[in-house]
Amino acid sequence: MTTATQSAGGPGTTTSAAPAVIEATHITRVFPMASGQVTAVADISLTIAPGDHLAIRGPSGCGKSTLLHMLGCVDTASSGTLLFNGRDVATLSDRDRSLLRLTQIGFVFQRFFLLPMLTAWENIELPQAESGVGKAERRERTRELLDYVGLGKRAGHRPSELSGGEMQRVAIARALANRPRLLLADEPTGELDRTTGDQIAALLDRVNADGTAMVLVTHDPSLADRCQRVLTMRDGRVESETTR
Amino acid sequence: MRRLLLALALAVATAGSALTQGGPSAGASGAASAADAPPILVARQLAESEQLQVGQIVRMSPHGSGADARSYRIQGIFEPTPDPAKLGTVPRRVRMHLPDLLTATPEGRPAFVESVTVGLRNPADAGAFARDLGSRMPGLSVRPTGDPEAGGPFVVLQRFHLAIAIVTIIAATVFLLALTIMLVEERRATVGVLRLIGLPTGRIIVQLLIEGVLIAGLGALFGLLLAAASERFINLFFQWKYDTVLVFVHVTRDVAARCVAIAVPLGVVSTVTASWLMLRRNGLRLARR
Repeated sequence: MTTATQSAGGPGTTTSAAPAVIEATHITRVFPMASGQVTAVADISLTIAPGDHLAIRGPSGCGKSTLLHMLGCVDTASSGTLLFNGRDVATLSDRDRSLLRLTQIGFVFQRFFLLPMLTAWENIELPQAESGVGKAERRERTRELLDYVGLGKRAGHRPSELSGGEMQRVAIARALANRPRLLLADEPTGELDRTTGDQIAALLDRVNADGTAMVLVTHDPSLADRCQRVLTMRDGRVESETTR
Repeated sequence: MRRLLLALALAVATAGSALTQGGPSAGASGAASAADAPPILVARQLAESEQLQVGQIVRMSPHGSGADARSYRIQGIFEPTPDPAKLGTVPRRVRMHLPDLLTATPEGRPAFVESVTVGLRNPADAGAFARDLGSRMPGLSVRPTGDPEAGGPFVVLQRFHLAIAIVTIIAATVFLLALTIMLVEERRATVGVLRLIGLPTGRIIVQLLIEGVLIAGLGALFGLLLAAASERFINLFFQWKYDTVLVFVHVTRDVAARCVAIAVPLGVVSTVTASWLMLRRNGLRLARR
């Protein structure tokens, strides 16, 4: 259910003039391996403003996902600075980074990563409950999100009872549950057929149009072409960046 | 005769005595008539083994050769106090009054009685009686039968049990830790998703800790219920096997408390350890199993 007033974080939020969501400066990620160090991401600087729609493309192993994980505070940079809402992520404790993910960042993954023992409703309600949202507000928000992704009638179904496209819709609704400033999607259509993938892409476009900054990692050129900015990576570095 | 405080058990076999069965009725055998024969009580197992019945006259001799045998009338059958040290053997015991025992034992000859069980009116006096008798008769080993700590065989048994318990607990700990790691690993995808969503490590550990306490508590409760249920069957089986009333298994409150005191912390520690080992890994790696 979308209305003219819907904006950042899906339905029911408003856009405001805010600082950059992400400011990454010369970030590098090195993984120590038995055979020596492997540099997955090398010296990347990037700014993501509220409402941005960015796609990261590149061949397998070029560092796209590693970069996405650093942007989402799942991983930390070996060097360089990454500011989220103006706060240096490297200085945050594990608990604060977790809180940041819980309240400010939404994740959508190729393999959905829904909790199999919970229903669609419960999966969407979980992040809200963990961030302390009251029961009544949770109920209203969850209902609103299920309608937003077109699954109002599948609330009581478990992931095993949903199709791939429906699971990804639930995952998107869960990612939007706490009205994040940034939505990160790692190959969100990778496990879906073309038609379902297009539907998910359209849904993600709508989320972005409603004001949520979005970063997509994808191999799919058609999905990347929907974004305002496309960052192409190779060997851990930015090869090119195009803006439409 | 009942006025005597002491009921004595004569260990016939160890005293080198001989017991011969007389006729089925009083006076059927032996020098004394049924009316004159001193009464004795015969151990149930001995009565069953030798097919003795109440009212029968038996002859007993303090010598293995059967010399100086005297007749006694079986007045009753008694259940002997179980002795774990003599498990599996038929207790060849009779009880008689002290004057009859003295009469049966030839004067001036060395006594071959190996053990005498003394029954006291007040069992609480056993300790004082044992100390008093021990001080009066140096060389005599006197111990209260109700105190397992006092007897050598019981102490050895207890140490043996302790050793088994320690080995069992160590083995159970290793098994439990391995099992817990497997159970936690089964949930690594769920934990990974929770980490990605933004649940702090501490929150997840608390969740797993609560589950660990519940599982360990329920496990301990199940173990106790199983022990309580099997206690009866184990006792019945071994009492049948060894023909004794000895209690082989007894789950006391103390035992139950110890089990819970060991099981619950073990369960909690193994859960937390397994969880902590897993949560050190990146949430995404956990989710991608």
